Amino acid sequence: MSLRATLTSFALASSLIAAPALAADKVIFQLDWLPGGDKAPIYVCIHDGFCRDAGLNVTIASGRGSTDAISRLAAGSADVGVADIGALLAAKANENVKVTAIFSEFNKGPHALYVIKSGRIGSMADLKGKTIATSPFTSSNFYLPLVLKDKGVESSDVKLIKAEPGSLGPMLMAGNVDGIVAWMTDLTRYRNQGKEAGKEIVVLPWSAAGLELYSASLIANDDFLAKRPEVAKRFVEAYKKSIEFAKAEPAKAAAAVKAIVAEISTEDVEGSLNDTLPLIFNEVTDKDGLGVFEPARLAETWRRVSAAQSIDPAKFDPEKAVTRHFIPAK
Amino acid sequence: MTSVPTYAASSSKRQPKAMTDPVAGASPFFRRLATAPGMATLGSLIAVVILWELTARIFAIPSYLLPTPSSVIQSFSSIGYDRWFVHVWATLRVAMIGYALSIVIAIPLAILMLRSPFLSRTLYPLLVVVQSTPVVAVAPIIIVSLGAGDAPRVVITCLITFFPLVVSTATGLAATPPELIELSRSLRAPAWREITQIRLPFAVPYIFSALKISITLAVIGAVVAEFCASEAGVGYFIQFSTSMFRLPQAWAGLIVLAAMSLALFQLVLFAQKSLFPWSLPKKD
Amino acid sequence: MASPAIRFDRLGQVFDTRSGRTEALRDVSFEVARHEFVAILGPSGCGKSTLLRLIAGLLRPTSGSVEVFGLRVGEPRDDIGIVFQKPTLLPWATVEDNVDFPARHKRGRVSPEERERAAALLRMVGLEGFAKRLPDELSGGMQQRVGIARALLMDPDILLMDEPFSALDALTREVMGFDLLRIFAERPKTVVFITHSVSEAALLADRVLVMTGRPGSVLTDVVVPVGRPRGPETANEKAIHDLSAYLRSFLLQKAA
Repeated sequence: MSLRATLTSFALASSLIAAPALAADKVIFQLDWLPGGDKAPIYVCIHDGFCRDAGLNVTIASGRGSTDAISRLAAGSADVGVADIGALLAAKANENVKVTAIFSEFNKGPHALYVIKSGRIGSMADLKGKTIATSPFTSSNFYLPLVLKDKGVESSDVKLIKAEPGSLGPMLMAGNVDGIVAWMTDLTRYRNQGKEAGKEIVVLPWSAAGLELYSASLIANDDFLAKRPEVAKRFVEAYKKSIEFAKAEPAKAAAAVKAIVAEISTEDVEGSLNDTLPLIFNEVTDKDGLGVFEPARLAETWRRVSAAQSIDPAKFDPEKAVTRHFIPAK
Repeated sequence: MTSVPTYAASSSKRQPKAMTDPVAGASPFFRRLATAPGMATLGSLIAVVILWELTARIFAIPSYLLPTPSSVIQSFSSIGYDRWFVHVWATLRVAMIGYALSIVIAIPLAILMLRSPFLSRTLYPLLVVVQSTPVVAVAPIIIVSLGAGDAPRVVITCLITFFPLVVSTATGLAATPPELIELSRSLRAPAWREITQIRLPFAVPYIFSALKISITLAVIGAVVAEFCASEAGVGYFIQFSTSMFRLPQAWAGLIVLAAMSLALFQLVLFAQKSLFPWSLPKKD
Repeated sequence: MASPAIRFDRLGQVFDTRSGRTEALRDVSFEVARHEFVAILGPSGCGKSTLLRLIAGLLRPTSGSVEVFGLRVGEPRDDIGIVFQKPTLLPWATVEDNVDFPARHKRGRVSPEERERAAALLRMVGLEGFAKRLPDELSGGMQQRVGIARALLMDPDILLMDEPFSALDALTREVMGFDLLRIFAERPKTVVFITHSVSEAALLADRVLVMTGRPGSVLTDVVVPVGRPRGPETANEKAIHDLSAYLRSFLLQKAA
């Protein structure tokens, strides 16, 4: 390489690094759980330049559940993050936390029941008299009685065992229980576990059983929205592009997660991402568009959440928990 | 004089032909290796690992129940040393700072409690309450109020390691022979010298037994803290691996954690041996 | 006429304990002359150790008074050394550091003179060559010798000894008794020596006070009719035998 070429490429490289760095706005992004394929968009945003192109310097903080993520967002230790809108609605209704949902990511709930094929359960209506296991703290536990009721099964007719999340799969494979409550985002991982045990796993999504919900959403600190609305707007745009990129190029999206989180395996990420995409892109998205909070579906979400959490539905207007100001125009 | 060490060194060679010696026929190198201290432990450890591998393979135990040693070893190398270093350093840093903070607070507090029966009466129940509170329950407030960085994890570690140190130090300070306290009083020595020259040294064996308990608690504390909030650390790594259903990887983390605890424990023991040899229990 | 080294005047001592009031001593009066060796003999729990703590100023009398060299004892004095039942040495300090501990503890440093005196004391108690050893490496008798050297470091006028040989085996105990006779022949001291051994009291002391309790009080005060210097042969003297027999029968009678 000639000296001139070297200098030129050096200048080019440094301008690429320096120019956005000068203008970049710092944003702390809060996950509601540990890194994984279901969180691919934010990693795509950072790794594939969507955040940088929007003039954003984003750092990721992992969380331990939606409640944890929302309380950290409310405390201002993060600016914007992803968490379940159900947890947000309940938190807003109970004690007016200073955070607001700005973009819908999952317009279906990830809640599901996993069973073994050729087992005794073919649909949620078959649960009467069966034993199922769930993890102690998952939000699915709140919705389970609602789904059962819809299907005409009394909660008291189902024996519910609570166990550590990591032991649910083994319990199902070993036949200790007839089914387990888990999320759609873990479908590939449970299927792989089933393969190892020589069993075929069937998933029964609760959305198919009539549970119409918004779920994971972008939620932001109110101060952040008030003081840096332009940053928030640019972020949501970049995030939307990242989601679309993840849909179009799942393998590249998985590679982005792997590039930032070295401990993860690419196949796990890809599996989880493919399990997640139907929660983001589906018939609801086709009808309303990506990221949209459609008033009727939001009201339905609140009806379900308030029933699940035993809150008077009239006590809170779910429209107060969201703002549509930051959703990019089509 | 010079012949004595030579003779002592060759003492094992005195009965090389003895039929009872199981390694008599082996070369001197292997014989020495076989009789070296810790060899029996290492040997039995290797045997357990081989047995474990065979059991897992023969009975085809799925990896989500019990990963084979070979898959655990494999996941060690698949992570990369730089990532291991990041995790080990994160946990070690929090454990050590929390441990040090705990010592710096616990020992003066034990002295204060010795000097003031009122303080002792009021603090003891409080300490018991703090000790019996599950840290996980108070972790959110600690994390939210202390923010990002090591601070919340250090505080959690400190809370977990604190109690045995205060109680043991206070017990040790009070276990000083009363005669020496009378001697000190009869000499009309300053009160602080009673602490520094009599009570504290007498408490050294007590303090060290607590230091040995607390160093393993410090590792546990750092891990518990990482479970609640962190972006790195061996505890985070284990939690993360479990969440990904990567059990061999989680077990690799557990082994690293156990090795860290063992090494730190030995370090405390070494400190006691070299600094306060008299404080060790008598051999006979 | 110089005042006696120690003077108890109608002393009474009461302790308030969890289980109520305990009267430890009642109406105790006696004197100890300068350089006199007084043994106090009595059963366990008759308040003998309380007497020593009163002399040392570690305890305030409930009634009556204790005087040392004509002055009422209010607080610990510099001219009193104590030897305890157990050696209670500092296990981390060498023998010589244990001996000069009182100086280091009182003032934070040891003067060259004190260091010399410590070495001389170690010679006197027969432990030269052991200066750099740790207490653990010494036998029980040797440890108690270190304790005696420690008590003598500040060159006290009065030495209080609280059953100093009771933890030792019979033979060592006898040897230690004779060593004590030799030491005090070299360097006379006022000694109050507590023991339950009748023969030890008779052999070592100029006077024997017999106490009984509780509450403890002095029953009898006997002069040992044997002069000094004394040595191993003294133990065979008829006067010592007779006195021992008398004291033993006296104690048995009181105990019955």
